[in-house]
Amino acid sequence: MKPLLRKLLQGLLLILGVTLISFLLMVWFGPDQTYTLIGKNATAEQIADIRQQLGYDQPFFKRYLDYLASLATLDLGTSNASGEQVNKILMRTVPVSLALMVPGFILGNLLGVALGLSAASHHGKWRDRLISGLSVGGMSISFLVVIIAFQVLLSTPYGLDLFPVRGWQVSGFGSYLQYVTVPTLALIFVTLGYNTRFYRAVFIEESGKDHIRTARAYGASNAEILWKHVLKNSMVPIVTRVMFSIPLVVISGSLLIESYFGIPGIGLATFEAITSGDQPVLKAVVGLTAVAFVAIQVLSEMLYRLLDPRVV
Amino acid sequence: MSGRTDILGKLKNDRAGLAGFLIVSLFFLLALGVWLGWLGQGWSDAGGGRWEAPGAEHWFGTNVLGQDIFQRAVYSVRTAFEIGLVVALFSTLVGAVLGALAGWYSGSWVDGTVMWMKGVLDSIPFYLFVAAVAFALQGQPWAMHLAMIATFWTTTGRLVRAEVMKIKSMDYVRSARSIGLHDSLILARHVLPNTSHILLVQATIAFVAAIKTEVILSFLGLGVQDGVSWGLMLAESTQEVLAGHFANFVAASGMLFLLLIGFNLLADALQDALDPRQAAL
Amino acid sequence: MPVGAARKLLPLLATGALLLQLAACSDAPDGIEADAAESIYRHSMDGAPRSLDPAQASSIYAKMLVVNLYDTLYRYKYLARPYQLTPNLAEGLPQVSADGLIYTIRIRPGVYFMDDPAFPGGKGRAVTAEDFVYSLKRHFDPATRAQGAWLWQDRIVGLDQWQDEGSDYDREVSGLRALDEHTVQIQLISPFPQLTHTLAQGFSAVVPREAVQHYGREFPIRPVGSGPYQLQSFNSSSAVLRRNAGFRQQPFRLEEEGYDPETQSYLGLEHLEGKVPPFTDRIEVEFIAEDAARWNTFISGETDFIKVPVTQFDQVLSARDPPVLSAEMAEQFQLAANLESGFVHTDFNMDDRRIGYHPNPDQDARNKALRCAIIKAFDWQKRNDVFYYGIGKVFPGIIPPVSSEYNPEQHGVHTERDLAGARKLLRDSGWHAGNLPELEYGFTSSVTERQMFEQLRSFLADIDYPAEKIRPLTFATYGDYARAYLNREVMLTTTGWTMDYPDAENTMQLFYGPNSSPGSNSANYNNAEFNRLYRASATLPPSAMRTSIYRNMNRILLQDCVTISGIARTLILLWNRDMAMLPDRSFVGGFFFRFVGSSEDPTAYTKNESPRQ
Repeated sequence: MKPLLRKLLQGLLLILGVTLISFLLMVWFGPDQTYTLIGKNATAEQIADIRQQLGYDQPFFKRYLDYLASLATLDLGTSNASGEQVNKILMRTVPVSLALMVPGFILGNLLGVALGLSAASHHGKWRDRLISGLSVGGMSISFLVVIIAFQVLLSTPYGLDLFPVRGWQVSGFGSYLQYVTVPTLALIFVTLGYNTRFYRAVFIEESGKDHIRTARAYGASNAEILWKHVLKNSMVPIVTRVMFSIPLVVISGSLLIESYFGIPGIGLATFEAITSGDQPVLKAVVGLTAVAFVAIQVLSEMLYRLLDPRVV
Repeated sequence: MSGRTDILGKLKNDRAGLAGFLIVSLFFLLALGVWLGWLGQGWSDAGGGRWEAPGAEHWFGTNVLGQDIFQRAVYSVRTAFEIGLVVALFSTLVGAVLGALAGWYSGSWVDGTVMWMKGVLDSIPFYLFVAAVAFALQGQPWAMHLAMIATFWTTTGRLVRAEVMKIKSMDYVRSARSIGLHDSLILARHVLPNTSHILLVQATIAFVAAIKTEVILSFLGLGVQDGVSWGLMLAESTQEVLAGHFANFVAASGMLFLLLIGFNLLADALQDALDPRQAAL
Repeated sequence: MPVGAARKLLPLLATGALLLQLAACSDAPDGIEADAAESIYRHSMDGAPRSLDPAQASSIYAKMLVVNLYDTLYRYKYLARPYQLTPNLAEGLPQVSADGLIYTIRIRPGVYFMDDPAFPGGKGRAVTAEDFVYSLKRHFDPATRAQGAWLWQDRIVGLDQWQDEGSDYDREVSGLRALDEHTVQIQLISPFPQLTHTLAQGFSAVVPREAVQHYGREFPIRPVGSGPYQLQSFNSSSAVLRRNAGFRQQPFRLEEEGYDPETQSYLGLEHLEGKVPPFTDRIEVEFIAEDAARWNTFISGETDFIKVPVTQFDQVLSARDPPVLSAEMAEQFQLAANLESGFVHTDFNMDDRRIGYHPNPDQDARNKALRCAIIKAFDWQKRNDVFYYGIGKVFPGIIPPVSSEYNPEQHGVHTERDLAGARKLLRDSGWHAGNLPELEYGFTSSVTERQMFEQLRSFLADIDYPAEKIRPLTFATYGDYARAYLNREVMLTTTGWTMDYPDAENTMQLFYGPNSSPGSNSANYNNAEFNRLYRASATLPPSAMRTSIYRNMNRILLQDCVTISGIARTLILLWNRDMAMLPDRSFVGGFFFRFVGSSEDPTAYTKNESPRQ
């Protein structure tokens, strides 16, 4: 258990680093909200009042320590814009983001594994080339282009006009599917190239290993080899990739998708916090993501042990 | 150098890689043309009408201001290369230096610090980090570049570190150390040159990532501030496509796609040629 | 050989996709808890309010909702144009003393706040004069983070001192008192003829002290008022309002609302006569910032109303002046063309010595010549054509067409492009490409603002202003931009000013010296004569004399070449024919929600009628 303890300590140091950097960038040098909160014809005195209320006049270390304390106690304060508690904002928006991103995330990875397997099992043949070529093509299309194109093709009279253009008026499973489909397809499309390529490389590497060759020599069927050996032994890199992309996909991915489709999830809340300078919200999002990321690192360390006893 | 001809020889036999190389070269020529003032100089002139259709005078039509979309798309090649080159060069350089130091002094506090920095930078959601840097350096035209360099070096750093740890234990390095050569000399003369295959491939990958990131950042209003880029054109097009004006969208996304696929093919070919083992992973 | 794994996975995925598609096509249950018998109006706006606290209702988006959740003493008549005040929570117009200093206002009895846990027993109590006094005082309490204090600053006897002495609500303000349960008395320091207008603002809406205390920091998203609607849900993408069952019974009278059968019969409002507002049970407001997306939700029937984005004018209109709806559109929609109650203008920062005032009189004169040349080079026609479809109204100066003081005869040399004159001015004052100062044009990074900047640069290219000397100064957030220009760091700023009330005093104050930054005079213009006239006119009620003073001030401003101004945008409002309503983005604003009804017979429509306003 000693390595685990070390990992925890490292994690703690990471959290300190992440919070310090994000605090420096997003709070200390970050956007100033004072001037969106004052009225017309404000006096210098009113401006000073607001600055004081927002805590902008406090020294660096006091503000940073307050930030750490708020993360540690999960008492994240209230939004400077609406007065809503940050905890409530998170509870309101995170489920929306999960509902939005999870289907695309899972499908994107499953499809990636499937295509990767398909290509790997035909390594060097036309099917492999086709899949590899398509994934390079997919990797070469900008996320923004995909989103715009899918919206035009699926949700407007210029295309099929099947789904709502934007928004999130979800009241049941049917309406959920209506709103989630276009973002999901865009997400799958944009991640599929990367996923396929990655999984293909993993499977090819694994297929080349001695024990697979041995199995093959003993006449095991192709399918058996893929299922029993290649896929099973590739679990470590697969799980690692999936785990590590969760927090980043959820925040970075939803930032763009949600602000484009106007979906009230954590990405849009973050984007609005950036553009309005709502620091309590920003601080919470960055801090919690960092904590989640570090937690995942520690967790995956434990998972490796379960999946692959060779890891010491 | 024999290594160089080797690469070229291998590239010649890789048709996809060759195509990539040709595409990238073509775009580089375009960028050069813009730099030299031969191409795209009229990108900001508002001489045409509002949303003119493509024609002899305006090959890709005009935008809402009457600016020539073809010229803007071509001028954006220069913007893309400026961003791509700067970010690729510096992120690779930083990655090489920090990775080499960490690898050479692996296990020491230097290694620990570099790995900690990498861990920290990898833990902040990318767009949030870049946005934050853009804010902190408000008005600086280099804010976007800096943000990308600060995050892109980590992959190069990790790979170089691993490679250096391997090289360190090799005989010629040991003997160099045993005759008392200074660490920095060994690193510069014998170790870093042997990581060049990693650096070249990572630089192409960073180039691609930089261009793609620029598009998103410019769309969010955090990217290119003065001038024109495919990202700005795409941002413009988001207001136009649903009204049926597709020229901006098609021109920017088409050229962007071409350049990116060129670079991706080139990166693949380079990886195959230089580092077959890594290529598989 | 085929791969077992992929084989098994792919059909599974395909089935999943198919199911997804099927479910997506099936009719989804509509909205949250929406009752089939309920009447619904779905409104769309191009921005979202950040707070629903009346004290923070500074944006048009917030005002739109606030006046529906809360009551103001006055409001603007639904249909009267030009806009006219009418009592809302007040029983009648204020009684004003002969010297114009004392206003006495009776508040309607029997009006109740909506039921809310903030009240003892959860039961809404009666609205009193004391509530109004409390609501106004809140603007002078720093803890409120209120944004409306400027309306009453240095106007009401004792109110500013009340703030200086610590904003203690238990202390009385001598100029702002409840005489009895239903009578308010306001005593002014000097005449302020616009006072009644300020009492029709969202800022002055009446809030109960219990709710402010009960909800604390969350009060902005927990509105408790006495307005026609209650808030059911609210987030950054939509708000749902539900009819306030306890709203006072006051039948709708076309005549009282200023109905003009000549021009407004096409609206089909007659059948609503005598009914009690609010006519619609449920109002859903969608906040959609992106033009294209907002348009698509409208055209696909997901919303009932839209302020049409300029990019869609081509598709919507068959004629520009006056705007006429295309026949195809007219089958489904109604149109109102609304001249905005404000204008867009680009100010020079007069505090910047490179372009504004200069202690050296020679340089001062040269700077003025430079500013005048830039104004002459500005192509308003093109600006109008590109960004406003050519239907905005260009006018010289700062008295916008919507105000009664506007002078339609004043065509302007100031808004007509004169390249030869501009070049001559530059030449005569010794400006040439080599010594022209670097211009910094500030804006928040958005597509349209960047395009406006590039257009300005192309205008100035025509007087040989080198393109590399015209630099963008971009800001990622409005707050940072505001900080820069309120600290006088931006050379050229473009602002869209929306008037708070229909009185040109509201735009004159934009250039009054003492209002310089951080006040709303962001040009930092300071002309003794202009200031003197402003002070002289400030206490005057509307009159021919005051109008001539305003016009005089406008002339002074134009001569000093302080601002490139201006254009008033024409807003094209479209709504579903199923609705009987007249939407408004101006002074009536959100007050129209309560009058939205359903059409008597949506199919009755003749092709020849041309909606006018």
